[in-house]
Amino acid sequence: MQQNADTPSDGRWSYCYQCVAGPDLLKVKTRNGVPYQVGPNDEAAEIHPAGGKVCVKAFGLIQKTHNPNRILTPMMRTNPKKGRDQDPGFRPVSWDEALDAIAARLKQARADGLTDESGFPRVAASFGGGGTPTAYMGTFPAFLAAWGPVDMSFGSGQGVKCYHSEHLYGELWHRAFTVSPDTPLCELVISFGANVEASGGVCGIRRHADARARGIRRIQVEPHLSVTGACSAKWVPIRPKTDAAFLFAMLHHLLYSAPRERLDLPFLKEMTSSPYLIAPNGFYLRDPDSGKPLVWDLKTATARPFDSPDLDPALEGEFVASGREDGADEQRWSHENIPTRPAFSHLIAHVEPYSPVWAAEICDVPAEDIRDTAEAFLDHAHVGETIEIEGRRLPFRPVAISLGKTVNNGWGGYECVWARTLMACLIGGLEVPGGTLGTTVRLNRPADNRWSSVTPGPDGFMFYPMNPTEKETWHKRSTTRHAHQTLVPLAANSPWSQALGPTHLAWMMQKKGFDHLPKPTPPDVWFVYRTNPAISFWDTGAVLDAMSNFPFTVCFAYTMDETNHTADILLPECTDLEGLQLIRIGGSKYVEQFWEYQGFALRDPASPPQGEARDFSWISTELARRTGLLEKYNAAINKGAAGVRLFGEGYDFSLPPEQPHPPEEIWDAICRAASAELTGGAQSQGLDYYRKHGFRVKKFPRLQWYLYPALKDQGLRFELPYQERLMRIGQQLGARLHEAGITWWDRQLKEYEPMPHWQDLPGLWAQALEDAFEVRIDDYPFWVLTARSMQYSWGGNAGIQMIDEVARNIAGHAGVVMNPKAAARLGLREGDLVEIASPSGKTRGAVSLRQGIRPDTLLMLGQFDHWKTPYAKELQRPSMNALMPMLLALTDATGSGADLVRASVTPIGAAP
Amino acid sequence: MTRYAIVADLNRCVGCQTCTSACKHQNATAPGIQWRKVLDFEVGEFPEVSRAFVPVGCMHCDEPPCLEVCPSTATRKRADGIVTIDYDICIGCAYCAIACPYQARFRVDAPANAYGGERMRHERLRDDPARLGVAQKCTFCVERIDAGMAAGLVPGIDPEATPACVNSCIAGALTFGDIEDADSNVSTLLRENRHFRMHEDLGTGPGIYYLYDGEIGQTAPIEPAPMVAEPAGMAAVLPRLQHSWDWRAVGNFIFGGAGSGLLIAAALYGLIAPPMWSAVFLGLALVGAGLGCVWLEIGRPWRFLNVFRHPAQSWMSREAGIALAYFALGGLAWLTGALALLLLAAPFAFAFVYAQARILRAARGIPLWRQKQIVPLIVVTGLTEGAGLFAVVALIDQALAGVDIGLLHHGWLAGGLFALVVLRFALWQVYRRALGHGGAPKAALAELDETPLALAGLGQAIILVLVSAAFLTPASLGVAGALALLTGWRFKFALVTRAAFNQGYEIARMPARGAGVSGPGIRPGWVAE
Repeated sequence: MQQNADTPSDGRWSYCYQCVAGPDLLKVKTRNGVPYQVGPNDEAAEIHPAGGKVCVKAFGLIQKTHNPNRILTPMMRTNPKKGRDQDPGFRPVSWDEALDAIAARLKQARADGLTDESGFPRVAASFGGGGTPTAYMGTFPAFLAAWGPVDMSFGSGQGVKCYHSEHLYGELWHRAFTVSPDTPLCELVISFGANVEASGGVCGIRRHADARARGIRRIQVEPHLSVTGACSAKWVPIRPKTDAAFLFAMLHHLLYSAPRERLDLPFLKEMTSSPYLIAPNGFYLRDPDSGKPLVWDLKTATARPFDSPDLDPALEGEFVASGREDGADEQRWSHENIPTRPAFSHLIAHVEPYSPVWAAEICDVPAEDIRDTAEAFLDHAHVGETIEIEGRRLPFRPVAISLGKTVNNGWGGYECVWARTLMACLIGGLEVPGGTLGTTVRLNRPADNRWSSVTPGPDGFMFYPMNPTEKETWHKRSTTRHAHQTLVPLAANSPWSQALGPTHLAWMMQKKGFDHLPKPTPPDVWFVYRTNPAISFWDTGAVLDAMSNFPFTVCFAYTMDETNHTADILLPECTDLEGLQLIRIGGSKYVEQFWEYQGFALRDPASPPQGEARDFSWISTELARRTGLLEKYNAAINKGAAGVRLFGEGYDFSLPPEQPHPPEEIWDAICRAASAELTGGAQSQGLDYYRKHGFRVKKFPRLQWYLYPALKDQGLRFELPYQERLMRIGQQLGARLHEAGITWWDRQLKEYEPMPHWQDLPGLWAQALEDAFEVRIDDYPFWVLTARSMQYSWGGNAGIQMIDEVARNIAGHAGVVMNPKAAARLGLREGDLVEIASPSGKTRGAVSLRQGIRPDTLLMLGQFDHWKTPYAKELQRPSMNALMPMLLALTDATGSGADLVRASVTPIGAAP
Repeated sequence: MTRYAIVADLNRCVGCQTCTSACKHQNATAPGIQWRKVLDFEVGEFPEVSRAFVPVGCMHCDEPPCLEVCPSTATRKRADGIVTIDYDICIGCAYCAIACPYQARFRVDAPANAYGGERMRHERLRDDPARLGVAQKCTFCVERIDAGMAAGLVPGIDPEATPACVNSCIAGALTFGDIEDADSNVSTLLRENRHFRMHEDLGTGPGIYYLYDGEIGQTAPIEPAPMVAEPAGMAAVLPRLQHSWDWRAVGNFIFGGAGSGLLIAAALYGLIAPPMWSAVFLGLALVGAGLGCVWLEIGRPWRFLNVFRHPAQSWMSREAGIALAYFALGGLAWLTGALALLLLAAPFAFAFVYAQARILRAARGIPLWRQKQIVPLIVVTGLTEGAGLFAVVALIDQALAGVDIGLLHHGWLAGGLFALVVLRFALWQVYRRALGHGGAPKAALAELDETPLALAGLGQAIILVLVSAAFLTPASLGVAGALALLTGWRFKFALVTRAAFNQGYEIARMPARGAGVSGPGIRPGWVAE
């Protein structure tokens, strides 16, 4: 057990969880009750993977607290009309008036039934990036739990701004909601657009900096020279959205140019589906009795179930065997003495067309560079070597491939994630030291530990909680507006699944419903916290139009912004430095949070609330009380809805359910339960303890960074390379949809291939835009991309002056990044103002010239284009979000899009 | 002995600006003021491009140019190498900001609010009126170091005794310590890695070391930063116009130079004719006006007496001291009409204009000024302006008084002016050649060369023709004198303002990243020699 030294005499302990790469620990210095300085928590240096540091965003919190543009009193809309051109006419009201108005609406919704005539929850909620708002919303999750069904399908960035295909396929294949190299041991990282130096948080930054210092080789494959590219040994400026071709060509090199013994053949045989025999219809050839997939045993020259003892399964070759084949739904075939090949043989044939020479033209990268990259991958794989971790000997494969946003989401995401994960398998580097690791689970359960989520599923693979596609169980009517249960089996149905469905569909259907889905309805009440979808999503104009039609919107509001411009009620909650909360820290978590400890950290208010701002837990309790849900709300807290279950073996700190409890009382009980949880019930220190020490942790085994031991111990395999299960599910899904008359999802059904084929992804984008807008794509000669910025990502801090000031030190923040030669062709110079137009929208900004970008590509960092948020609206910065149409044609089977569009550039003025 | 320094590992730095922000918190710097920041460099041409991030700030130099020029002794260097500013002494002349080749010094004259309007709570809490109107810069968080050491902590090891920027660095890129201690953290890093310092060739001995490649040994040679033309998108690192000195500073150089030259001309004229006291008075008034301009420029004008505190090193202090003697003797001469006193004042006038030249020369942050050839050029320009002005005054005096000063005197005057214009032109040529193509930022040279009516070319030839014509028509001497005066002023106006680009930033070597290799650096905005 480790703990902090003591309460800082001049401040308070807190944490920063403004971005998904947190939480990290910090210290806030105060004087006369005024917080004035943020700094690292040096007391946590030994237990925190980044030595107790916090990044630049945390330093914006002082201004964030004192920002004169804050909303400091509840406000109520007076203008019933909504829209960008409407003045909301907000008037200050008392908390009683605001909460009573919300409670009245909620009670009415409850009286009308928790779901509406379409079966959708009457209450909806949208929260910001990656679940981080839960670290600031106190006990609000308990209120939502007490309420019942809540629709969280109105996206604010999910899908298009996240690592969507990686989330879904990653969880399926290796419990990897996100994927990370085992950076501390890795020798080579090939990074396709992963921008860890901007979005990896302090843990990611520190791990990679330490790795660079010891000489790691990182190759950054990306159309522009990002911060991460800058920190890499080599930059490969690939043509946008052609990463799948590059990866396929690497596969080709591994399978066609390298001797087989350079691959980890034992791993492929024992830990993957490579030896599974494939029957004529593409499904596994199975043992007729047990239904288990068959492999060809070289020892006995017979087909035997994959889990038979003393096997030497063949990876390649053609064998004559008999068995049954189980297709979609009730399809069954029986085969006698048919020629059959293992999945690995199919893989070899599958990648045959994808040579480096083939990829070179597509990617605009010399074939030699692709070959060299693949060869480096093999060189650093150390196939056959082992390493001991906490007393257990594991394979050591210090090489990994990272995928970034726009590479691992939208069309092509499946291809890239499959190829990357498969390559890790080929050298035995999946979930082993040095190799490619998952970070956490969000769709599988339990969520607190990846190892615990490893349970046996079909065919020797891990269980995965697919949304059903069988006739009897398929959700023809989803409980959410974006129909994730209906359309996306991989989205599963955990508390996180709604956020991982096709969240833009919820917005699209507000404009025009989809055939044969329930009639689209707006939510009766929409809660919004720490998100601004009118800025942060794609097709922001359409999103704003949709939300303008919502009858009753409640925004927990920091300043005025583009989303709460349409709100009916604004509630000022305590911001980061004013609110009280205890959260979990440690373990393994995205983006590169691999701790050797786990426990809890306190957010101790460093400042009294400004104005009439209230602690979120107080707001939640009041909402519960005024809507008659107090007992359920307290019960939810007791059951752990606020992060810690209040009772366990030998302890019970449950709150009496029938009465409201002030925030300090609630969090004291939670702190006590946390202490008990960490000590097996032996200790029960409360809030005072955490106020004094800031955090409390116990050891987290490093061995659990790696999933390999968990699979090995249960005799399970990684479900690669062959996606028999997905093929079956895809066929069943197609059948269900067609039975329901739904044909508009047919393009997406094509993704359910057992092994993905290359599709002309740049051409797919071009065609989709031409078809949707009847334009000539050649009139839009540039690809537009975006990239995260450490100063801004997820921070909700576009209105913070200090962040703006320091971000300007990094090139590209002031406008649209453009290659000088491309600019010269248009007669543009540094700082000139341009209009960037896509077929669907326009944005404006200043030209920022950099050599580190392809001449056919434009880059717009972050997400701007604000027109309401104070300070931010003065920045006049471009944003690609306004350029991105929400199109079904640009929606992949997982329900995600990608930040990518074609655009033209028109000069509109010389540099000021 | 202790010599504190920062080692910045460019392989580790990701340009996140956490150090920038931590510094702003620790030191409560005003919006837009960054004592520490991280630059973003890009080298090469697509697709062969590399990019690097370089933390900069006060380098706490071994030979700080800021300390040398400081007239008030507010800037000092501690025994441990830390360069400090005494806010209670500083007069806010901003000379140090100009002299610093690292753009590390700032002057804030009025409280600035991040969001305008009222000050936020933390801004009010941390108001420090002592820092208004004076120089400010990175102190290596000297108060953390001193308090930490007093508590028995070790700077660079214990967080509380370490500069906030270093302690905040999330990449472990910044290390602070004592380079005089061979076993210290920084000494070890320098011993085991290739490194450079910024603007090493300026001889300042900066105290921030940049690691760019590993484990090669510190004696391995590093290449000087090559100079390239037309860098794209590098505004933040290109040489910039200095904005610390404006027309008020120019006023000192043009009035001071012309006034001093005028008094010298008047004194010399007194040797061959009755002294022209109106010229003497004008010379005194001009120098006084110039100093008045400076008084208007400084941030703490009522501390002006502190300007005399540093005659041992600062040419600004020396200029002020010389001005005292100049006014005393010149004033007495004018009051008493004593030629001897006037002749005694003349050397001080010369010394004054010489001091002005040395003020420019000592500003190592401005490439156009720090050339040694600028000293004779500025001196002779002052003398030429004085002679030209004297010719104008003499002709006006003659016209007003109806006295013919005579051909002989015309001859002396015209000859003197002719010689000075020729000499000035020659010195301009010498100076300009010394700058060559690479001795200053490209933009500075362009501005200098394009300045109309300056010292080059046709303008000076016309002056010489007009001077020669004085033997036919005396009025042309007046016109020539006026032109000699105005072209000198025009040149100095350009030199002090529009062409006064600073050094800019440079990176001597692009760092090796991980297993990558280091590469040539860049000095953006400079042209190859």
